[in-house]
Amino acid sequence: MEKKSPLQLKNISMTFPGVKALNNVSFTAHQGEVLGLVGVNGAGKSTMMNILGGLLQPDKGSEIIINGESVKIKNPRVAEDLGIAFIQQEVAAFETMNVYENVLASDFDKWRKNRSPFLNKKAMKEEVRKHLATLDCYIDVDTPTHSLTVGEKQMVQIARALSQGGQILLFDEPTASLSDHETQKLFEIINNLRTQGYIIFYISHYLDEIFEMCDRVVALRDGQKTGEAPISEINKEKLVDMMIGHFVETTERKNSRDKDDIILRAENITGVKFPRNISFDLHKGEILGVWGLLGSGRSELFNTLLGFDKMVEGTISFNQNGELCEINHKDLYQHVGYLTEGRHHNGVFLDMTIAENITSSDLDRFASKGIGILNNRKEKEESRKYMKQVNVKAVDENMIVSKLSGGNQQKVIISKWMLKDPDILFMDEPTKGVDVGAKAEIQNLIFDRSEKGVSFVVVSSELEEIMNLCDRIIVIAEGKLVGEVNRDDFSKEALMAGIVKQEEKVENEQVQVG
Amino acid sequence: MVLDRIKFFGQRNKQLLGMLGAIAVMLLVLSISVENFMTWTNITNLLAQVAPIAFMATGITFVLITKGMDISGPAVMAASSVIAVAFITSFKVITAVHLISGCMILLLAGGFFGFINGLAIAKLKMVPLVVTLSMMTVATGLATVLGGARGLPTIPSAYANFFNKYTVIVMVILISSALDFLLTGTSFGRKVYYIGNKEETARISGINTDNVILIVYIICGICAALAGIVNVAIISTARASMGPQSQILDVVSAAVIGGVSVQGGKGRVRDACLGAFLIVGVNNVMNLIGVSDYFTTLIKGSIIIFAMGISSFRQFYFSRIRA
Repeated sequence: MEKKSPLQLKNISMTFPGVKALNNVSFTAHQGEVLGLVGVNGAGKSTMMNILGGLLQPDKGSEIIINGESVKIKNPRVAEDLGIAFIQQEVAAFETMNVYENVLASDFDKWRKNRSPFLNKKAMKEEVRKHLATLDCYIDVDTPTHSLTVGEKQMVQIARALSQGGQILLFDEPTASLSDHETQKLFEIINNLRTQGYIIFYISHYLDEIFEMCDRVVALRDGQKTGEAPISEINKEKLVDMMIGHFVETTERKNSRDKDDIILRAENITGVKFPRNISFDLHKGEILGVWGLLGSGRSELFNTLLGFDKMVEGTISFNQNGELCEINHKDLYQHVGYLTEGRHHNGVFLDMTIAENITSSDLDRFASKGIGILNNRKEKEESRKYMKQVNVKAVDENMIVSKLSGGNQQKVIISKWMLKDPDILFMDEPTKGVDVGAKAEIQNLIFDRSEKGVSFVVVSSELEEIMNLCDRIIVIAEGKLVGEVNRDDFSKEALMAGIVKQEEKVENEQVQVG
Repeated sequence: MVLDRIKFFGQRNKQLLGMLGAIAVMLLVLSISVENFMTWTNITNLLAQVAPIAFMATGITFVLITKGMDISGPAVMAASSVIAVAFITSFKVITAVHLISGCMILLLAGGFFGFINGLAIAKLKMVPLVVTLSMMTVATGLATVLGGARGLPTIPSAYANFFNKYTVIVMVILISSALDFLLTGTSFGRKVYYIGNKEETARISGINTDNVILIVYIICGICAALAGIVNVAIISTARASMGPQSQILDVVSAAVIGGVSVQGGKGRVRDACLGAFLIVGVNNVMNLIGVSDYFTTLIKGSIIIFAMGISSFRQFYFSRIRA
C-alpha cells in the first residue's frame, strides 16, 4: 500500500506549431506528498498543468495513468471527474455571487430539492461549511465573494476543489497575490491536506517556498525533465542548476553617480485617495526604489505622477538643458517609459506581433513625414536588434505575443521601452512572474542602462531584489512618504521601520476613535 | 521558393481567399441561372449598386476595429444629403459651382455628424451603441424636417451625368484602396489596431487614444456622406427615406462577412468591401431568380450567422492551441 502510486505520467510530449513544449517527460506522484514542479518561464510547467487539467491534448504516445488505469483527459470536465482540481494563479471567482454558490458552482444539479427546479440551500450551506471547516477557514457562507480578500477567495477555490471530490490538487503560483500572513495560512492547509493523503502539485518561482513545502521536486528545462530528487537531498544551488543549467550571476551595482544633477523633482504629489503629499528627487543615472506593502499606494504614485490618475495637487519639474523647469504630464511622458504591473491588462498587445508590440512606444520614428507611411522593414530590423539585446526567446519578430511565455512577454515590454530610449524608466514590479534566469538578466539590463545615464524608479515587493537593485529607497505607507534609506544603510529593519511606525500611528488613531 | 511565397500569402490572407471563393461561386450561380448575365452592362451595374454599402462598410471597419460601433451611417447619409440638396435647390439658377459646393457641404455635414459621435464617445466616454442610436434618430428627424412635407425638388441632371456608374466604380476603388492603405500602411492605422487590441496598453504606450477614436468616427461620418453622393445621383434628389435605418444591417454584415471582428483589433477595408459586394450580390441573385423578399432576408441572415460562426470557431480553435 505504501508504494502505491496513483498518478503516473509516461512519455508526455506536446508540440506547438514550431516548438516542442514538452519532450518525453515521465514522472510519478505519490499519495500524500507535495511534488514541486520547477523550471524557468517557458520550461513547460504550465503546459504540463494544462494537460492534466484537460485544457491541452498531449501528442500521441503520451500516457497518463491514474490508479493503474490509463486515462485520456479530453476536457476539464473529465479532469474533474478524475479528481484533478486546478487552483489557478489568478484567483477566478463569480464576484457577485455568495461564497457557497461559488464553492458548489460546478454541480448545482446535485442540490435540487426532489428534482424540482428549486435548490436546497440549507443543505448546500451545510456542505460548504463542512469543507471550509476542514480548511480551518470560518468565513460566512453568505458573504458576497467580491468583499473577500484575495486569500479568502483562494480558500473558496480550494474548498471548491475539495467539494468536487478532488484527489489531485494543482497549485499554480498560489502565493503570488497573498500577503505573508495568508501565505502561512495556506502552507498550514497544504500540510494538512498532505497528511490526509492528497496528491499535491506545487508550482512556484519562490525557491524558498519550494524548500519549505515540497517533499520532492521535478525540474523541467526547455520541455525536458532535467532532474528529480527528494528535497532533503538537494540545496538551492543544485536546484537552480537543474532549472537553468548554468548560473546567471547578477553583477554588483557600482555606486558611482555624482549626486549633483537632478533629472526629476516631484513636489507634494497628491492624488484623489493615494498618494498623499509625496515629494522626492531623482538623479541622473540613479536607480530609485519605492518600497511599501501591498496596497500602500505604490502603483497609484506612478499613475498620478504620469497623469493616468487625477493629480489633485503637486508640481513636477524636469531637467531640460541643465535647468529644472516645471513640466506637465503630457510633455513629461515624452521622456518617460512606464512598465506597468498588470502585464496582460495594460502591458502588451496580446494578439499582435512582437515587432508591432516593440515599436508601439515610439511608432512615429518609423513613419514618414506627412501621412505617416510606416517603414515595415526598418521596424522589423530595429525590433530584432532589441529582441537580441534583451534576449527575447522567440522564433522571429513576427510571432504573436500571446504565444510567448510570461517572462518573454515581460522582456518584450522591456524591449519596447528600450526602443523609446527614455530618460526615466518607471518600473512597477519588473520581475513579477519571471523566472530566476530572466530576473537576473533584467537586473543586469537595468544596471547597464543606468550606467549610460538612464534613471530608474522601481517598485518591487521583493525586499532582496529591491535592496540589490537600488541606490536609494523611499518607503511609503498609506500613501504617505515615511522614510528614505541610502544604499549604505540598507537592511530589512531600516525599510520596515517606517512602515511599522506608520501602522502603529494608524492603530492608535483607530483606538482613540473607538 | 515561389510555392512557399504563395503558401505564405495564403496563410496571411485566408479571409481574402475565402471571400474571392464565395464571390466566384455567387457569380457562377448567377451566370448559370440567369441568361446573358455576364454582360458588361450587368456587371458594371452591379458594381455601382455596391458602392453605397461599400463606402459605409469602409467607414464602419475603422470603427469596429477600435472596438466601437456606429449604427448611424444610413441616417447620417440621408441627413447630409438632404442638407446638401436643400442648399443646392435654394438657388434659382443652378450652376456647376453650386453643385460642387453642394458636394463639399455634403461631405462636411457627414464629417460633422461623425465628429459629434466621436466627441461623445472619445471625450465623454459614452457608450458607442447608445450615442450612435441617438444620432440615428436625430439625423433621421433632421432629414424629415428639412425635406419638408412635399419633398425637395430635383437637381439638374448634370449631377447624375457626372456621377455615372463608371465614375462611381472608380471612386469606390480609389477611395477604399486609399483608406485600406491608411489602415494597414500608416502609423495612424497601426494606432487604430493598437486601440482595438488593448486600449489601456495603447494609452500607456503614449498614444493619444482619444484623438485617434475621434478621427475614426469622423472618417465613418465622411464615408456615409460619400454613400450619400452616390445615392443623390441615383434619385436626383434627397429624402429621409433614402437611408432606411435597417440598411445598417447590410453595412455591418458586409464588414463582418469580410472578417472584421466585432471584438476589435482585426479586419481590413479591402475585405469589408468584398463583403459588401457579396451582400449586394446575394440580394441580386435572389431578385433575379425570383425568390420572394421574405426568403431573401432569411437567407441573408443565415449567411451572416454562418460567417460569424466561422470566425468565432477559428478564434476558439486557435485559442485552444495557444493555451
